[in-house]
Amino acid sequence: MDWQALALTLKLAAITTAILLAIAVPLAALVVLGRNRWLALLEAFTALALVLPPTVLGFFLLVLLGPRTAVGRAIIAVIGHPLAFSFSGLVVGSVIYSLPFAVQPLVAGFAAVEPALVDAARLLGAGSMRIVLTLLVPLAQRSLLTAGVLSFLHTVGEFGVVLMMGGDIPGATRTLSIALFDQVEGFHYAAADRTAAILLGISVVALTALYASGWSRGGRRA
Amino acid sequence: MWTQRRWSPPIGVLIAAAAIAASGLPIRGQTPLRVAAAADLGPVLPPILEQFQAATGISTEVTYKSSAVLTTQIQNGAPFDVFFSADMGFPKRLIDAGLADAAGSADSTTAILYAKGTLVLWERKGTQLPAPSLDLLRRPALKRLAIADPERAPYGRAAVAALTSLHLYDELKPRIVTGENIAQAAQFAYSGNADAGLISMTSAVTPQMQSAGEYFVIPRDLYPPIEQGVVIVSSTKQRDAAHKLIDYILSAPVQAELAKSGLTPAK
Repeated sequence: MDWQALALTLKLAAITTAILLAIAVPLAALVVLGRNRWLALLEAFTALALVLPPTVLGFFLLVLLGPRTAVGRAIIAVIGHPLAFSFSGLVVGSVIYSLPFAVQPLVAGFAAVEPALVDAARLLGAGSMRIVLTLLVPLAQRSLLTAGVLSFLHTVGEFGVVLMMGGDIPGATRTLSIALFDQVEGFHYAAADRTAAILLGISVVALTALYASGWSRGGRRA
Repeated sequence: MWTQRRWSPPIGVLIAAAAIAASGLPIRGQTPLRVAAAADLGPVLPPILEQFQAATGISTEVTYKSSAVLTTQIQNGAPFDVFFSADMGFPKRLIDAGLADAAGSADSTTAILYAKGTLVLWERKGTQLPAPSLDLLRRPALKRLAIADPERAPYGRAAVAALTSLHLYDELKPRIVTGENIAQAAQFAYSGNADAGLISMTSAVTPQMQSAGEYFVIPRDLYPPIEQGVVIVSSTKQRDAAHKLIDYILSAPVQAELAKSGLTPAK
């Protein structure tokens, strides 16, 4: 068993999820509370990664943000190395790749909050920040949980982006899904069995926990 | 109250109908010969296969990947007719499993040698680093060296062997990035994400790579020869066409062409 790959994958997923929740809460609030029709464009952009092949993202990160472009050179000046072949590069890729899995449940959750409550809070003088933090987030707790769990699992399951820009470096970019690919192509089927079982196990346990939490207190809530 | 009922097309039905219609479309007429080829052949095969089609009327479809990946695919029933590996070991594995053969050749239990590969060190022009040479590999300023995966790609295996011969492998190991196949390793170096790459000469001599960089031929005594073998996938329904292709590749004019593309002729 490749424990290093497991640890790396969990670390990547945890960091990505933390960053995603920090980004997704304001984004989702903007989409739900905002009154500008251009917000549809923003919402579309947050959903892009749902439908775009991961290879598109891998290509962008590798070439458009690589050392041959001005943006890429700026990145190298700041972090000291190209995004490719680095853990920080995987974090950037994962955040973009899993963004819809954080934003969409939150948009649904925030939109389900009774609009009269939001209006009342506004009339009482609450600013948008306060409305989000003291009203929307507490009332949409479950959506927050869903967003977190789905972002985490989707990042654990990431493959195409990592394959294109990771460079398969143990301890830095060899995630479990890449290790599994290596094991299958290297004819190590027994090891591949174990890796696949762990990936399957993580997903089943986390999803079951997520859906079971919806059954607390006498029935299922959305 | 009067409400106007909006006409809503049965979108689901339309999509389903379109999908069914599309799945029935004929993709092509005659079945082409399906070729599985090691990634180092990516720049080499296309013109040769075009000439082959002009000469014989047999069209081909090629999939380029690492030799190991193609072997796994054939083991699992991928519908290829011919497999051009970048070594002799992977095709041998298929022969031993009864999935491929070299029927018609002198020794039907071994893949047919069609060319030998050459490993080169490639580097972009205009970098701060010295020009490609064995000395470049010793520079600490060489931060990222791209190679192909040594388990999957024969050129990756050769790269590790060469670095080991130079007693540099342990030192360079943390700075090595591996591509899934030799073409991806070349791409890592070409895009500048890696400072240099140990890649196949077939990639290095393409106009694109030649105009962007320089290469140094790794001395052949530093790694075991990269002998590239071809086999016929035994489940093929186009055995005659497969034989014709192999004979064509082994013919003197095509072998001479291989030499210009960065391979060493088999004969």
